[in-house]
Amino acid sequence: MLFQISEKMLRVLKAWTEPRIATKDVVKEPAHKSPIFRGRHVVRYDICTGCDACNKICPVDAIKMKPLPLKRPNKIPEVNLAICIFCGLCEDVCPTKPEKAIKLAGGDIEMITDGTHNALDNFWVRVEVPEEWIEQKKREEEEKARKRAEMMAKKKAEAEAKKKAEAAKATENKEAPENKGEEK
Amino acid sequence: MEKIKEVLNKFDMEYVEDYKPTWVKAKLKNKDDITKVVEALKEIGVRSCSTVSPTDYPEENRMEINYFLEDIENKKNVWLKVDIERDLEKCEIDSITPILESADYHELESYSTFGVKFKGHPNLRYFLISADYYGKFPFRKDFDWDEHEKNVIENVNKISEEFFEEYEENEETMGHEGSRTVLHWGPTHPASGPIRLKVYTNGENIEKVEPDIGYVWRALEKLAERKDFIGTIVAVERICFMDNTNPMICYAQAVEEIAGKEITPFAKYMRVILGELGRTVSHLISLGGFFGTMGLQTFLMWCLDVREYFLDVLEDYSGARIATACIEPGGVRYPLNDYKAWFAEIDKAIEKWESVKPDIEDIFLKNPLMTVRAKDIGIFTKDDVIDNYLQGPIARASNVKTDVRLDEPYAAYGELKMDYVTCENGDTRDRLYIIYKEINQSIDLMKQAMKKIEEGIEAGEMDPKKDHLVKMPRRMPEGEAVSRVEWARGEMLMHLVTMPKSTNPYRLKLKAPSVNHTRMLEKLLPNHTLSDIPLLYGSMHICQGDLDR
Ligand code: SF4
Ligand code: SF4
Repeated sequence: MLFQISEKMLRVLKAWTEPRIATKDVVKEPAHKSPIFRGRHVVRYDICTGCDACNKICPVDAIKMKPLPLKRPNKIPEVNLAICIFCGLCEDVCPTKPEKAIKLAGGDIEMITDGTHNALDNFWVRVEVPEEWIEQKKREEEEKARKRAEMMAKKKAEAEAKKKAEAAKATENKEAPENKGEEK
Repeated sequence: MEKIKEVLNKFDMEYVEDYKPTWVKAKLKNKDDITKVVEALKEIGVRSCSTVSPTDYPEENRMEINYFLEDIENKKNVWLKVDIERDLEKCEIDSITPILESADYHELESYSTFGVKFKGHPNLRYFLISADYYGKFPFRKDFDWDEHEKNVIENVNKISEEFFEEYEENEETMGHEGSRTVLHWGPTHPASGPIRLKVYTNGENIEKVEPDIGYVWRALEKLAERKDFIGTIVAVERICFMDNTNPMICYAQAVEEIAGKEITPFAKYMRVILGELGRTVSHLISLGGFFGTMGLQTFLMWCLDVREYFLDVLEDYSGARIATACIEPGGVRYPLNDYKAWFAEIDKAIEKWESVKPDIEDIFLKNPLMTVRAKDIGIFTKDDVIDNYLQGPIARASNVKTDVRLDEPYAAYGELKMDYVTCENGDTRDRLYIIYKEINQSIDLMKQAMKKIEEGIEAGEMDPKKDHLVKMPRRMPEGEAVSRVEWARGEMLMHLVTMPKSTNPYRLKLKAPSVNHTRMLEKLLPNHTLSDIPLLYGSMHICQGDLDR
């Protein structure tokens, strides 16, 4: 009996030597964080292709595509975090390689609003696309378009030239027998 | 099996065929025969009704009713179909509740969501939906949700007014006989969760109980029809947050069956581990919650502490702690890049559990106060279990050997060593003990599965980085499948119907065990006192998430 009691007392006393666990500020640093924790999205406008796959698969329609004045990407996703359920399906379907243009894994866990209706309305992952980038991209695109147009023109010209040449040849050929005939 | 077929063949059937090793699938030609068929089946031992699931075919103007009937003891099940007309006036069939009482709530559910009238049901009423629900019968294909929503927003004040009226005090004095009062237990009682029990009491003795449900009804079955086959996992996993993984296993199995795909052995073992993790996480809440209902929160905190370790494991695998979305048709969703680290994490969680086990046994499971309150009350006999179709831990606490993992092995359970865990008495205390025993069983299964995966990887048979998924077709063929898993709180059954070349489910019936367990409260609580409600209720391990869906 006495032994049992002292055994139990010992066990309780042992608790004093246990390390104090609550030394972490869990608001700043979570007790456990997995490297693939599905948190706040990161959208990379520079590799997104605007393919709309993430928007189509999202089971709760949390994604809205923001139009861009470009050909590719012509739109990029923005996520309404008040609706999103952090399922990660958008990341799964995103076709860009090797890095995904929309990514939750390893994302931010600090997502706190003050919870008012207005705050929820503004609880979005917005993508700020710098003007210069758009301008540059536009220029690149124009360049490309011009090049393509040039190429096309060139090709067309070549094709026409070829046609002409062929036609000329044909007439020559046509003429040739006549000539021959005449010669005969 | 043969006997069941023989009985079925006596009636006018379109077909009678085998389906999976434990099922017979049959279609009845004439709906008027239904009660006779069920009666004949009851005579040969098919005494439980798992669920009733209508499927709506507006183009063909028919409603197909699927009955899932089970013989729990001999593991023989019947899937019985019958067509009825779809027009609301003619959409009726004889009720089987007078024969198999476990069909009661399931028929009410079909009535409320599809408008199938069950003639002869003892108390046909609106269930889940309220009597003033605009538009009625929300699971029919032609139900107009937008119109419904508009109406609710317009009339919200009127609707809530009626609700308040119902809550008004309701007391009747009977002189020396005492007084009769209707008490509302829940939906805000600390032990209740979102359910309301209307308790008719005389003094403190309970005379009658009427559960009022539907507070967390999200129409998940309808929601699934709007999503694609992969997106549906986020709907089914929300049946209940406690055991999150097993519903996805059940759903994924149904889709794989229709697509005719076989998943890899690695994925099968992963499903065992993830499923058992889900069960452990859920049981830890049940275990602590049992004492919570008696007013002792300490143990709940202990259990939640251990649970955190298991949630860490889930987070390391999937990236989320509660809504993991980690199992999809074709296998499991993520590769296991560093399997050793993940297994070490599981071992750490198991170690934590083992370290608190002696204290749990000493302080709580042998607790004299708990024994006084919980021993020998609320006993379920074997017949109670079978007739009311109580499932999972509740059934096994009454020494009924039922467990889908053994009766109809899925994933890799067929290759692991396990046995039925049971208790003898079936009283309230046993329903606590069984949970404790099952956690230990789950941990044993996890260890076995981890060992198998390790062996497989070493032998070069499994590749944890590639084997997790097999490719599923983008469009499903036409088909129908029934899939069952042993969920934390009992049998979960899903009935999936697809159309040719479809991208989303045509109909997904989710059947979860809390429906029958809630119904059982009507019989369990009368003749006890008010102070017993939280304890008895807590011992049924009911979750409103899967009750309402
Ligand atoms: S995580 Fe899921 S819910 Fe959130 S935006 Fe992506 S797909 Fe939609
Ligand atoms: S984020 Fe990915 S999936 Fe979404 S539009 Fe861009 S490339 Fe497509």
